[in-house]
Amino acid sequence: MPVDMELEAVLRPPQIPMVPYPPKVITLANGKKMVVRQASREDVPSILKSVHPCLFIERDYYDIVSARLYGELLAWYRYRVKSEYCLIGQIDSYLVGVVNGRLEDEKVGMSYHTLAIDRGLRIGSHLFAAKMEYHMDYLGQESVLIVAESPIGFRRWMIEYPLEKTNIPHELGGGDSYRLTRDIYFAAKPRLVVGDRPVPQDLLDEAMMEIKFADDDTIRERIAGLKGR
Amino acid sequence: MRDVAIIGAGMIPFGRRDEDTLMDMLAYASLKALDDAGLGDKSVDAVYVGNMGGGMLQRQTAIASSLVDRLSLIPAAAETVENGPASGGSAVKNGLLAVASGYYDYVLVVGGEKMREVTGWRATDFVATMTHPQAEYPYGITLPGMAGMFTRLYMEKYGVTREHLLAVSLKNQEMGALNPYAHVEMALDREGIFDSPHAIVNNPTVADPLHLYDLCPVSDGAAALVLCPLEIAKKLVKPPVLIAGFGQATDTQTLQERDDPTDLKAVTLAAQKAFEMAKLKPGDIHVAELHDAFTILEIAESEHVGFFKKGEGGKAAAAGKTRLGGQIPINVSGGLKARGHPVGATGVAQVVDIVFQLRHELPKNRQVKNAENGLTVNFGGFGNNVLAFVLRRVQP
Amino acid sequence: MKKEIAITAYKCKNCGKIHYPYHDRCLACKGRDFEMVKPQGDVRLLTFTRIYNLPWGFDQRYLTIGIAEFENGVRAMGQINVDESVPLETGMTMKPSWEPVRVQAGENVYGLKFTPIA
Repeated sequence: MPVDMELEAVLRPPQIPMVPYPPKVITLANGKKMVVRQASREDVPSILKSVHPCLFIERDYYDIVSARLYGELLAWYRYRVKSEYCLIGQIDSYLVGVVNGRLEDEKVGMSYHTLAIDRGLRIGSHLFAAKMEYHMDYLGQESVLIVAESPIGFRRWMIEYPLEKTNIPHELGGGDSYRLTRDIYFAAKPRLVVGDRPVPQDLLDEAMMEIKFADDDTIRERIAGLKGR
Repeated sequence: MRDVAIIGAGMIPFGRRDEDTLMDMLAYASLKALDDAGLGDKSVDAVYVGNMGGGMLQRQTAIASSLVDRLSLIPAAAETVENGPASGGSAVKNGLLAVASGYYDYVLVVGGEKMREVTGWRATDFVATMTHPQAEYPYGITLPGMAGMFTRLYMEKYGVTREHLLAVSLKNQEMGALNPYAHVEMALDREGIFDSPHAIVNNPTVADPLHLYDLCPVSDGAAALVLCPLEIAKKLVKPPVLIAGFGQATDTQTLQERDDPTDLKAVTLAAQKAFEMAKLKPGDIHVAELHDAFTILEIAESEHVGFFKKGEGGKAAAAGKTRLGGQIPINVSGGLKARGHPVGATGVAQVVDIVFQLRHELPKNRQVKNAENGLTVNFGGFGNNVLAFVLRRVQP
Repeated sequence: MKKEIAITAYKCKNCGKIHYPYHDRCLACKGRDFEMVKPQGDVRLLTFTRIYNLPWGFDQRYLTIGIAEFENGVRAMGQINVDESVPLETGMTMKPSWEPVRVQAGENVYGLKFTPIA
């Protein structure tokens, strides 16, 4: 359907200008290097291909996290959400994790979701920390509102930072939000935020050129990790 | 007292087994061992089930009674044996004594645990229930916490370093990656978990000075054995493995009441008794499974059983002496560290892994060459109830 | 108001060995007669750890726990009142107190706490 730009001007929300997130590379527990970089709108269809199989995995709340993430990324792709960003983690070009969030205004950010496609490597921790790094170190925000659907998320964020409780309702009708302030972030940063910059050129080129994604079965196996008899 | 042999051994892959109930896992492992023993369509005389948490985590009691019904083993005698993380070892001991006494001929021993039914906080609390109810538990102490305090003392007394612990961690994960039954199938990289500044996130402190990769994972799983008198076993096709000796010893429940908390007296005594009964010495052992719920324990136990002098275990690990092909291969299966630690199953799984070694059944990259004598040590509580078994290959 | 340390240790009347927690028979001589002893004085830290993965029922990020010895020989476990930025060493002297160490079923549970002497 052809896009009517006059109508789009009405339907599209305003965007707050955001400086780009400088990519970094992290060494994981198994020695592999994960490039963390900002995704562009054009990357969304590729990303959604990896998120899609997760929609049907109940384990660890992957279904609800992926369903909400899918909608958020699609909204960003179709210009129907304010100031959203997306960071991705890639190992050898393969997508291993996705995080996203948005800016409510210049001072307050909202963390959306964190999806780790490879498990057992703290990818979720690293990418969530990268998100907070973006809000605090690069976008200069005062606070970020955060919610968790999964006990793992709750442990890693609400307890490990730790975060402040608030009475601010969850954007999608869940439990009340928690808050990361600049003070909490900078106190936690030395033990939770890591990464090397700049990314060696060959690694960065590889990550930027293509977002590879594993097939549905591999993704399901990595997440669901079913053991045989 | 008769000599007792193991004629069947089986286990299911350890890990997170959401799709199986505790009874499912116990049944699958039992059937594997029964089939391995050639008793797939037969009965046994007695069943011992090692399990620590069924009552608390699954709200299920009298588990052995349920299992014999499920497996059509009635009217066999059956008991559930609970001895903390040494439940498996105790189940093996009870099975051994049952056959040795002459009262029972064929005995099934199975250990199992389903720990991942609950969240990590509740699993940590469940494991902590083995600490002293007034003097320890209320404080929020955890087993990694006990190990952390022990490690600090061991480091101060013997100069054990994080590098020594790292050597154990890397070795066990590397071997676990080759073991199809292991929980953790990922080899670790030294840079990722130690050298790199990123290790602070990859390998965070859990109970200092212990880090994430110094600890075993929380696992589901089950393992089983079939025992019978050696005389009967000799007539069967597969080479039987003789339980040549066993030992069990206890110590104070709290760490503070031990004169020297770094002295694991129960380990020393249990191993001594096992060696005496088997008429063997530590130097005669070719392969060992030592209870490494925490990397420090593999080092400490390797000293207390007599493989190395006190204070030398860490250096020996770092020098590769406990690797496959080394002076005394320890935890070739991956140990609790990588094979996993479903608490009730571990003591049985350790024996299963030694049986595989002594039968010379394993692929080259996991088989200790010409292994004849093996040792297992199953550690209950925090060193206050320990079982040791010496196993010997019987020449066909 | 400071609460009294509600720990009772037991000194064997036969051989003098001090026990905490309670034993029905002496660990050294199997005697059954004990004199009740209150822990006295400050404590010396024997070992400690900082735990980051806590059991159900604890909401904080970490807990510092140690084993310490009172001046009259009683040994006990307690929580250490200290921020993670403060370095600890075995052998340090600390002041013991009796305070809430956890909440169970909505009620405070009291136990030993050790505070480093500045």
